[in-house]
Amino acid sequence: MTDQITDDIDELIPASHISLSEPPAGKEATIEYLLDLVVESGRVEDRQTALDALLAREEETTTGVGMGIGIPHAKTEAVNRPSLAFARSETGVDFGSMDDEPATLIFLILVPEEGGEDHLQILSSLSRALMHDDVRGRLHAAEDESEVQATLREAIA
Amino acid sequence: MSEERIVEIVPEAGLHARPAALFVEAVNDHEADVEVGPPEGDLVPAQSMIAVTSLGVGQGEELRLVADGADAEAVLSELERILTTPEDELEA
Repeated sequence: MTDQITDDIDELIPASHISLSEPPAGKEATIEYLLDLVVESGRVEDRQTALDALLAREEETTTGVGMGIGIPHAKTEAVNRPSLAFARSETGVDFGSMDDEPATLIFLILVPEEGGEDHLQILSSLSRALMHDDVRGRLHAAEDESEVQATLREAIA
Repeated sequence: MSEERIVEIVPEAGLHARPAALFVEAVNDHEADVEVGPPEGDLVPAQSMIAVTSLGVGQGEELRLVADGADAEAVLSELERILTTPEDELEA
């Protein structure tokens, strides 16, 4: 595959979108915490609109996809370019996933309204990568933001 | 003996969000091992939400479903119903 949105990891998920400290307890609080990483990098024009879109998606059905992974995501006019953010949790955040595993690796995807299928491409590529034990292990073990980026660069095809 | 079908995806969101959740729930509610994937590609376990999400299947694309077990025929019929029903007509 060529010219995919996931080819440029540094653009999609700059170091400032990566948190290696414990997010707040609770799904909504964690989603807001991840959203704020993207807000702080100046990519979100309207925080409330972005948050509403993310929570509306959770309302439809949880983005806790099992295996300790949560991938809240939304397509919204509130962002100006496709963006990914990451946080990990030692204690786990209850995402209400079908396998009852609390989420310990959490990714937030935001893409502009006109982004077409970009969000589904990011979502499927990320899911494919995260099915591998070694990828999840490396994300848990990463000691800094650049290790997270390197893992994603190698794992997302 | 395993049963299989090729189904074209009708919901606008593709195999994503609520259709995907209903799909995975249906698999888990039946006595059958089900695998899913593109007609010519690798199959993944259909009872796993992350595996189903990884397929990234959109509206109008085809999916191959392969089921093995006592409920194979029944689960395939239910999955076909979910995949061929427009999202606003899907019952929870």
